[in-house]
Amino acid sequence: MEKKRVEEQEGVPVALPKVDRFGFVKQETSATDGPTKSRSALEHEREERRIRKWRKMIGVGGSDWKHYVRRKPHVVKRRIRKGIPDCLRGLVWQLISGSRDLLLMNPGVYEQLVIYETSASELDIIRDISRTFPSHIFFQQRHGPGQRSLYNVLKAYSVYDRDVGYVQGMGFVAGLLLLYMSEEDAFWLLVALLKGAVHAPMEGLYLVGLPLVQQYLFQLDHLVKEYLPKLGEHFAQEMINPSMYASQWFITVFSYSFPFHLALRIWDVFLFEGVKIVFKVGLALLKYCHDDLVKLPFEKLIHALRNFPNDAMNPDMLLPMAYSIKVSKRLEELKEEYEKENGKLSDRIRQKLQPS
Amino acid sequence: MARRPDEDYDYLFKVVLIGDSGVGKSNLLSRFTRNEFCLESKSTIGVEFATRTLQVEGRTIKAQIWDTAGQERYRAITSAYYRGALGALLVYDVTKPTTFDNVSRWLKELRDHADSNIVIMLIGNKTDLKHLRAVATEDAQGFAEKEGLSFIETSALEATNVEKAFQTILSEIYRIISKKSLASDEPAPTSIKEGKTLVVGPQDNNTKKTCCSTS
Ligand SMILES: Nc1nc2c(ncn2[C@@H]2O[C@H](COP(=O)(O)OP(=O)(O)O)[C@@H](O)[C@H]2O)c(=O)[nH]1
Ligand SMILES: [Mg+2]
Repeated sequence: MEKKRVEEQEGVPVALPKVDRFGFVKQETSATDGPTKSRSALEHEREERRIRKWRKMIGVGGSDWKHYVRRKPHVVKRRIRKGIPDCLRGLVWQLISGSRDLLLMNPGVYEQLVIYETSASELDIIRDISRTFPSHIFFQQRHGPGQRSLYNVLKAYSVYDRDVGYVQGMGFVAGLLLLYMSEEDAFWLLVALLKGAVHAPMEGLYLVGLPLVQQYLFQLDHLVKEYLPKLGEHFAQEMINPSMYASQWFITVFSYSFPFHLALRIWDVFLFEGVKIVFKVGLALLKYCHDDLVKLPFEKLIHALRNFPNDAMNPDMLLPMAYSIKVSKRLEELKEEYEKENGKLSDRIRQKLQPS
Repeated sequence: MARRPDEDYDYLFKVVLIGDSGVGKSNLLSRFTRNEFCLESKSTIGVEFATRTLQVEGRTIKAQIWDTAGQERYRAITSAYYRGALGALLVYDVTKPTTFDNVSRWLKELRDHADSNIVIMLIGNKTDLKHLRAVATEDAQGFAEKEGLSFIETSALEATNVEKAFQTILSEIYRIISKKSLASDEPAPTSIKEGKTLVVGPQDNNTKKTCCSTS
């Protein structure tokens, strides 16, 4: 896989920078790294067994997957919540997102988009390329393979869907995918997500007016008030609203500023279960830090909401907490409430797209 | 409520940083508040926020600065942050003429969403890239005069004029505010001091909050 490729730049041999196990260049106190303690033989054995189970579930090249999911959806859900083995992640993501099918149904389309079409967003994309995962070894080299793939995927998407085009934040989503699959696979996964192959389409996060961001922030605001009333009250007093801290949670599905090992675990569940995991993780974070947050005044509060402590970022603690928070029913009700005020999402989108 | 030592200031001024994406807003902010610059910084998603307390005209001013994503699409969420801002730093990139051409659009954006008496400063950033300069100082200066904006050129990379830019806009805000409080019948200076933030429309959120918390 390409992420392993670290070449000298322009013929000048460079010392290889130290990277963590996901390829992020290490800072002294790297928060991007997961637990690094050397694994015991027992743990190693357990991991091997887990991978074997997963392989069986997937079948060769994913051939048994659909069958398995239909027969034992709960087993699949439980296993995904525990984390997809890193070596199978790319493949499994493509299977659960429905992108594999899109790819097979559209041979040659990606190449066409990349090579022959031009996009109005090309300059916007180029401007952001070096500002996307700047600390990852794969994306660091100017015009290197990482940056080129990222550009191609984003450009192809901006042509494929000219209403969305390119919006800042999409690069982090595409970048994350590119660490686990080829350009073409990443492109179709992006399509599957934005067009809603399996779950609610994400395109409303990026269309003019960011209508879905606005709706999600409204829903989150209410969930915080209901689920963590004391904190909700404190936020209200300090005039904190979710747009100050949570826009990027939704727009990049936690890939913008969260430790990578946590982002990956969230993505495993996000692709299988949909956006409600974003709400759940958000609420779990607030709940975990609740007692500190309720004491902080406005400015410190904003800072804390953008810099959660390291111990809050442990997926094996945070995710079980998130799973235990039930949001589906309230999300649906709040969506209806929002639509009563603002109209249905499809209408909101249409309105904005038609110049008045 | 007791004042914490780090909360000790005479005024709190809210300022927004706006302008096209990539012109250097986030780095101007990090240079001003933390004296840091990053060549490979991430693009801003939504809004960011930082503060710095400094002396302006003999007063202790806390600048509360909101940095916004520059891409047009993001105005749907960022324009809400113009409300209640006393100042706006409108940044363009001296090596990218389109970012200067777009300044008028940003001004319109401010007219539509910000308080009408907001102090605006035009900033041409990246002056260190001398060989790439594409917007002449005189052109920008002329434009600023015509529009009634103050104007300065900066380099966030070399830390040139960054301090001065913020000092200038904060002084300007201060002068307007102190003039205003003299003109009003209220016993001015003390009430300003206690209210901390002042002179913003009734719709401003943070103002209300700071006022309440001190009373
Ligand atoms: N040479 C130079 N580059 C700068 C300067 N300020 C910012 N940059 C670079 O321009 C790019 C965009 O900066 P950023 O602060 O993220 O822009 P923003 O999108 O307006 O927030 C980054 O690569 C910065 O390192 C400057 O004064 N000089
Ligand atoms: Mg920025």
